[in-house]
Amino acid sequence: MNEWDPQVLITFFTILISGIGIVLGTIVPTIMQGRAVQKALDGIARQPEAKNDIRTTLLIAMALLESAAIYVLLVILVLLFANPLIDRFF
Amino acid sequence: MDSITPQVVFNLFGLPIKSTIISTWISMALIIGAVILMNVFKPGLAELIVSFLSNLISDIMNVDSPEPYLPLIGTLAIFITIANTAGIIPILVSPTSDINTTIALSLVVFFAIYYYGVRSKGLFGYLRELASPIFLLPLEIVGQISRTLSLSLRLFGNVLSGELIGSILLSLVPLFVPLPLMGLSMLIGILQAYVFTALASVYVASAIEISDEKIINKKGKNQ
Repeated sequence: MNEWDPQVLITFFTILISGIGIVLGTIVPTIMQGRAVQKALDGIARQPEAKNDIRTTLLIAMALLESAAIYVLLVILVLLFANPLIDRFF
Repeated sequence: MDSITPQVVFNLFGLPIKSTIISTWISMALIIGAVILMNVFKPGLAELIVSFLSNLISDIMNVDSPEPYLPLIGTLAIFITIANTAGIIPILVSPTSDINTTIALSLVVFFAIYYYGVRSKGLFGYLRELASPIFLLPLEIVGQISRTLSLSLRLFGNVLSGELIGSILLSLVPLFVPLPLMGLSMLIGILQAYVFTALASVYVASAIEISDEKIINKKGKNQ
């Protein structure tokens, strides 16, 4: 029983890495998005007439920050649904 | 594997036709039909949409007239909005939840950037500005490719995650519980269409903008 099937091992580590990865990969971009929103709200409170410019820039910056979390999600989706490593041991 | 790759519906001349292609055709037909109906019955509404889009583009790009850029960027905005929200209709899947669609859309933007850059500055002017410090040229090329890739992957990931959350919840609790999340995914889809449009306009604007040296030179000549 000490011998592990490589497929079982790969599946186990894939699930483990997916859980850890999605947690870390969403925490960090969310903290940074919070900082961006905080600065933008400070800017709007200081200069309400610059609201439209700040909003456009904020939306674009938020999308760029969000894409880091989306990349993590895509890598994990590929690992879970289309894992290229499992076929290697057949 | 089945849930993130679209299913093949039928084969046409040896080419597999997937479900996302069929929903792309249906959403194209929806857009064309809606435009024809609007032109016949309510011309004011179409004018409102066009003026909204041209205001958006001229706000982001800081240009006087958005006329040359309106056809491409406005079409992208309308098609991506309809395509992202098409997943709400029960039989259809969102065309943008297939990575081939989003890569095609961002390749259009990739080539349009060079077209507008060459058109506004001439071939050699644009190339000279692209390689203005010559040692930064490899970095510039990597930047051009990676922003195209990120443009397509961002749209794909957002729409696909919305669809996956909807289908997982639908298999757990079929009634009423998936509704708020479907609303959220619709909101995210419209926001992503806005973001794609805004980023495409920013990239085109970065290709057509006049560099600071030229502005300073012009001012110097005028004074």
